[in-house]
Amino acid sequence: MKHTLLILGLLATTTCAQDTSLHDYLIDGEPWQEAASGFAFTDGLCCDKDGNLFFTDVKAGRGIYKIDAATGKTDLFLDSLPGISGLQIGPDGRFYACHNKEQRIIAITMKGEVEVLLTGVKCNDLVVSKNGNLYFTETPTLSVHLITRDKKHIVADTGHVQKPNGITISPDERTLVVSEHGGKHVWAWRIEDDGTLTGGAPFMTMWLPLGKDIAAGDGAATESNGRCFVTTELGVQIFDPAGRLSGIIAKPEPQSKVVSVEFAGKNHDILHIAAGGKVFRRKLKVKGYY
Amino acid sequence: MTPRFLVRIPLMKFLPRALLPLLFATFVQAAPQDDQYVPGPDSQVQKGVPQGKVTQMPAWTHSKIYPGTTRDWWIYVPAQCKPGSPANVMVFCDGGGFVKADGTFRAPVVFDNLIAKGEMPVTIGIFINPGVFPAASPKEKPRSNRSFEYDSLGDLHARFLIEEILPEVAKNHKLTDDPEGRAICGNSSGGICAFTVAWERPDAFRKVVSHIGSFTNIRGGHVYPALIRKTEKKPLKVFLQDGKNDIDNQFGNWPLANQDMAAALKFAGYDFQFVLGEGKHNGKHGGALLPDTLRWLWKK
Repeated sequence: MKHTLLILGLLATTTCAQDTSLHDYLIDGEPWQEAASGFAFTDGLCCDKDGNLFFTDVKAGRGIYKIDAATGKTDLFLDSLPGISGLQIGPDGRFYACHNKEQRIIAITMKGEVEVLLTGVKCNDLVVSKNGNLYFTETPTLSVHLITRDKKHIVADTGHVQKPNGITISPDERTLVVSEHGGKHVWAWRIEDDGTLTGGAPFMTMWLPLGKDIAAGDGAATESNGRCFVTTELGVQIFDPAGRLSGIIAKPEPQSKVVSVEFAGKNHDILHIAAGGKVFRRKLKVKGYY
Repeated sequence: MTPRFLVRIPLMKFLPRALLPLLFATFVQAAPQDDQYVPGPDSQVQKGVPQGKVTQMPAWTHSKIYPGTTRDWWIYVPAQCKPGSPANVMVFCDGGGFVKADGTFRAPVVFDNLIAKGEMPVTIGIFINPGVFPAASPKEKPRSNRSFEYDSLGDLHARFLIEEILPEVAKNHKLTDDPEGRAICGNSSGGICAFTVAWERPDAFRKVVSHIGSFTNIRGGHVYPALIRKTEKKPLKVFLQDGKNDIDNQFGNWPLANQDMAAALKFAGYDFQFVLGEGKHNGKHGGALLPDTLRWLWKK
């Protein structure tokens, strides 16, 4: 029977990113530690290739702050850019930012020179692909936007995601992931060759706090094997590439609101979170996708 | 305790490399305690028994329920199928494994043998794989939609089968409308999927076969025993198989979950059968049992 040559066998494969539990992430004796404090509302965590962490103080800060990977010291890195809520370093070495306060998307050189890419958007968080397509969430309009590498603006999805907030991309850059702040799902789309999104679905379901029907999904980051880390009211929820909840890393302080997550440090294995006025860090067994 | 999913090497040579990522983690390598489970004569091609025809269908690329996905699927039509007289239907989740003539289940061979002996009715088999979001080039891997489709509770997958797949098959084959004549079978996440489809739509499917079923909390499926106990009994006939050495992980404990399911089905008065063997998370026991399972399932 010829068909037997074509068909798949009893469904087995090497998918090492599957079936992981918290045992595969957390290290005994490596709890959360304070990495920076004294801010009002930290957000916008991102890192560079050396593992330095950058963040903002979206409500009261002056600009972009840096935690040095070597010294652990926190400094103001770029001044006079208050109100950035989402930040990432793009393939050209510039920062890309959701300048929430000014309702615009900007690119910023390491020296602070600003290029305005788009105005009039209530942008929240963004991700930039290696080929230069920029995706950002606009929470109040329930929209996900795309600014293509040739600077064309496209509304990539609208009306589906309940308060889209955190955003990240798979290591093969074929799947875009957006968390719901006003729902319980994390959505995923296929990224087409032209950067547009297809096949959107509520691919992951976040665990809800008892008695609530929204998970308050917020910042998101991608681990090197494609697992997705999403901050929520309950903590940092980890989803495997099949979209299954693997576990939840507890918040450092039960009352704090965790809004942003990023891997940083020399080996990109230190998970950082923005939690209110502080940034916390914790060494994990896994590394971030950078 | 984390299971590592291993490709069975003998299959590799049959598989176009681009398809490899489509295969999804379901079965761990068989352990010694699984070796006692071997296919019997009803799972072998028997001389003189009419053989049904397996046809690979064009990939299903235009799903409205799962937009953007594509999936492979096959249809088995028994030799005894008469045009004009409605056949029973049995859907197999992860169908690519079940349809394989020299696999663990060999469903078409078992169908041939049992139908020829009059031990099961003339039944068309629909063997369907979970969806994938296709890769754009051979260098890339598709993203599997399997867990979303199979582990999620709700009526989405039932609707997918009822609204998309059954009408497509019905274009060329007369299928029964009687839900008693419609069965669904699966392994692992496909097992809970089979139960979910019938649970949600007993008007369309009333017979369920679950091997090593994932009635655990992958996406909330651990609630079924509680639901079964408190929900008015549905007209379902359910076969469950699991092994004592099945998975224990962050989603739950498979043997305990299946025992919990069996206890709930018993409490609520269901027509069910539960076989707890000694195997791990693979299809060997379920495959060896399949002829008996189908005889029981289709017995009136």
